[in-house]
Amino acid sequence: MTEYEVVIGLETHIQLNTKTKIFCACKADSWDDEPNTNICPVCTGLPGVLPVLNKAVVEKGVLLAKAMHSDIRMRSFFDRKNYFYPDLPKGYQISQYDLSLASGGYLDIPMPEGYTRRVTIHKLHMEEDAGKTKNAGNLRLIDFNRCGVPLVEMVTGPDLRSANEAAQYLIRLRQLLRWLDISEADMEKGHLRCDANVSIRPKGSHQLFTKTEIKNVNSIDNVKNAIEHEVERQIREVEAGNRVQAWTLDWDEEKNELRKMRSKETEADYRYFREPDLLPLDLTQAWLDEILADFPELPLERKARFISEYKLPEYDADILTGERNLSDYFESAVQHYAGDPKKVSNYLMNDILRMLNESGKTANQLQLTPTFLAEILTMVDAGQINTSTGKGLLEKVETSAKSPRKIVEEEGLGLVSDDSAIRAVAEKIVAANPKEVETFRAGKESLIGWFTGQVMREMRGKADPKMATKILMELLKK
Amino acid sequence: MELCDRSAHELLDLLRSKQVSAEEVVQSSLQRIAVVDGRPGSLESGEETDQDRRTVHAFISVAAEQALDQAKAIDQQLAKGEQVGPLAGIPFSAKDVFCVKDTYTTAASKILANFKAPYTSTAVERLQKQGAIMLGKVNMDEFTYGSSNESTAFQPCPRNPWDTSRVPGGSSGGSTSSVAAGEVPFSLGTDTAGSIRQPAAFCGVVGVKPTYGRVSRYGIIAFASSLDCPGPVTRDVTDAALMLQAIAGADPRDSTAANVPVPDYLATLEQGVKGKRIGLSPDYFQISYMDAESGEIHQKPVQEDISAAVYHAAEVLQRMGAEIIEDVPMPNTRYGIPAFFVISRVEAASNLHRYDGVKYGYRTPSAEDDLRVMYRKTRNEAFGLQPKLRILMGMYVSAAQYSEQYYNRALKVRALLRRDFDQIFDKQGKYQLDALLTPTTPTTAFPIGAIYGDSVLMQYSDQFTVTANHAGIPGLSLPGGIAADGLPIGVQLLGPDFSEHTLFSIGRALEIGTQDEVWRLQKPAVLR
Repeated sequence: MTEYEVVIGLETHIQLNTKTKIFCACKADSWDDEPNTNICPVCTGLPGVLPVLNKAVVEKGVLLAKAMHSDIRMRSFFDRKNYFYPDLPKGYQISQYDLSLASGGYLDIPMPEGYTRRVTIHKLHMEEDAGKTKNAGNLRLIDFNRCGVPLVEMVTGPDLRSANEAAQYLIRLRQLLRWLDISEADMEKGHLRCDANVSIRPKGSHQLFTKTEIKNVNSIDNVKNAIEHEVERQIREVEAGNRVQAWTLDWDEEKNELRKMRSKETEADYRYFREPDLLPLDLTQAWLDEILADFPELPLERKARFISEYKLPEYDADILTGERNLSDYFESAVQHYAGDPKKVSNYLMNDILRMLNESGKTANQLQLTPTFLAEILTMVDAGQINTSTGKGLLEKVETSAKSPRKIVEEEGLGLVSDDSAIRAVAEKIVAANPKEVETFRAGKESLIGWFTGQVMREMRGKADPKMATKILMELLKK
Repeated sequence: MELCDRSAHELLDLLRSKQVSAEEVVQSSLQRIAVVDGRPGSLESGEETDQDRRTVHAFISVAAEQALDQAKAIDQQLAKGEQVGPLAGIPFSAKDVFCVKDTYTTAASKILANFKAPYTSTAVERLQKQGAIMLGKVNMDEFTYGSSNESTAFQPCPRNPWDTSRVPGGSSGGSTSSVAAGEVPFSLGTDTAGSIRQPAAFCGVVGVKPTYGRVSRYGIIAFASSLDCPGPVTRDVTDAALMLQAIAGADPRDSTAANVPVPDYLATLEQGVKGKRIGLSPDYFQISYMDAESGEIHQKPVQEDISAAVYHAAEVLQRMGAEIIEDVPMPNTRYGIPAFFVISRVEAASNLHRYDGVKYGYRTPSAEDDLRVMYRKTRNEAFGLQPKLRILMGMYVSAAQYSEQYYNRALKVRALLRRDFDQIFDKQGKYQLDALLTPTTPTTAFPIGAIYGDSVLMQYSDQFTVTANHAGIPGLSLPGGIAADGLPIGVQLLGPDFSEHTLFSIGRALEIGTQDEVWRLQKPAVLR
């Protein structure tokens, strides 16, 4: 039986999280808004109005291009992509064609199996989104809210070799988009859209075979699922002696199956030409420097550094760099804490992450700041509080925004390390338990734990257990 | 002389010195319209009558009441001694591609006959802010596609006030007719290949195509976006300077509007031509056109009295101190029209995509389930012949398999045309010209019906004007005489980017140098 290799390329549309649209001042995000409420003469293509480029779109595009190791063009152009559709009010989409913002590039995807897949970037350009069409009975309803929402279209080379790799690419891309604050990257809300081009070939072949295009997939799981289905279908076709045809397929989430939308025999001719209503986009060196001045360390670089610099296990480093605020939080806490960074990691992975999940906050929104967390860890290390008091403090600091030290003071949560106070209780315990004292003195020294426990109980846990043991030993051996 | 025959700067003097009221000025214009304009263009015009053939039909719509209300408001302000705008009380007309909030803007097409824009174009807004009063919208070639105004869907089409059997030129023919017939002293036109200058020449008025980007295109229904320039139509150069002053300058709503400061045009208007280097090029005294059958290039000299008028203008300027440089080569001039054919149609076809019957404008009344059929019927029923021709050709020459041969090649020609001008205006170059003096058109106004239908030949009336649109440079057309056929002759001045102030001062000098010539006494036929 022939072994097949899967060849996948992904076309992604990334909705940028700018405040306003790409060519007008309308609000860009309409997720919670009624249809046709964020529109104006420019984005609805009335006669005579003109597009004016939103600089924030360029800035976010440049950040993404940099992160993808693309060559940024100092002069790029906008072009018209001409086609008729009711939700495309001008009859053309303003996009970038041959000389777009950036060219080339790649993203390295670490696979859970341990290897790295390099995914090359073929195209990276800015464009405006079209509106949405909805059929209601025999009516066709159009919502223009989405017209002019800024997008970056990014197309990969045919470099992915499994549905799983495709999913990992999307996971890493989503992480990166959020890391750079370019996009909310929520596939369910269409902030990140993905079409997958899928083909198969006999293992060892370097030829590219006829591909199909899967559209309308709105989650990473569904992308994976749809590709798996399609690969199986293509193998079945080929095994049955048929040819794979260049179809466009639609993923039906409810039925968990692919549906044929149309055969793709000829490429549409969009009659691209330079958009005469916009000037060439010139990136000056000064502007570029300004955009890239605060370019952050990227998640995979930071993960590697966490492993080498803080000696974190890979598992910890991966989770802590999953999201930028969390990794900043970790690093800030480590800087305020003299002890082992792994201890910080443990607190974050167990307690802080739960806190974040439950509250829906991001790490930078916590009242329990990294400094406060470091303070709690330092107090535990110094024996000023015990571990469970320390953990209890996390919630208390978060709700009150008071410093942990102050809470310990106010609520008397500190360990008693006053010799005379512990000695008095210890003497009381020794006097009250002559039988146990006898047994101890007869040689059963392991009873010391029991005595310490009695002291701790009497003092409601606030005694320094080491000091209590020392004093008890002194009294019992007298 | 009636009030409406006076230039805007004369009217401003009279208004400021309270010798006349704004209401009187507007009334005078409205009376003139009533006398000479005839019935306005409409979609259902019926048979043309003899009366129709004697009037100019410049207007599609006249906003008489609004204009009178504005005039009265200005008079009240003046009476109270309040500050008014620098153009307060001056009536103007606007070509029907300038969107004006809550009024019809039709582009002289059935497809936009019911379109009311919810915004005002920058040029109109700036005139209104300065106190100028819009009297109405004037007719034009459908979507500005033409050089005669015959293609308007709103018939009767405008006629030439000098001879109503002749075309006014186009596409801003309504603008130039309305100014020439004394209906308004100011009109806003647009110029994509000569659409302001050619009708200005035909109607004996002044027309300015400013540098590309000098005047914002915001709110103007587009023909070919990389070539379109809004500009003034007036009766003299001083008014043209006054009007451009009001409408020029950067606009945050048009990113192709230049951020170049606007100089004080009136300050340099009377500075004369002493030391100015003005060129004459043999390439602007003949037209080259292709035989439609054989493809051979034919050459034809311009009408004799037109070339004589241009040489006469050169002599006048020379007498006034200018240096005339002859035999300036402009070798690519002949390719201006073919390149324009391609570039303008690609942009036009794309600009027309939005008229699809979905959102506004005309939609076919037949109920269609199939969207494609709805598109086809709508566009077929509501576009006239000229938009259809431009769509066909635009789609053809931008198709993937042809664009290299046509569209991309035309762009290269356009760069060569620009180079011709760069070389003659180069301050270190061989010619170091301040301006090139040319005929505006190869002929005077042609009879209605004589050329319409031959869209290739029609286009060749723009051969001397289209070069400025390709190059982006400014051009000024002003009256230079009256031909043997009794029709006005236009002479054109072309200058480097943003040299409007120089063109105005040369034009003004030419006005002064020819002010006593007998042809200046002649008046348009409709005013005799």
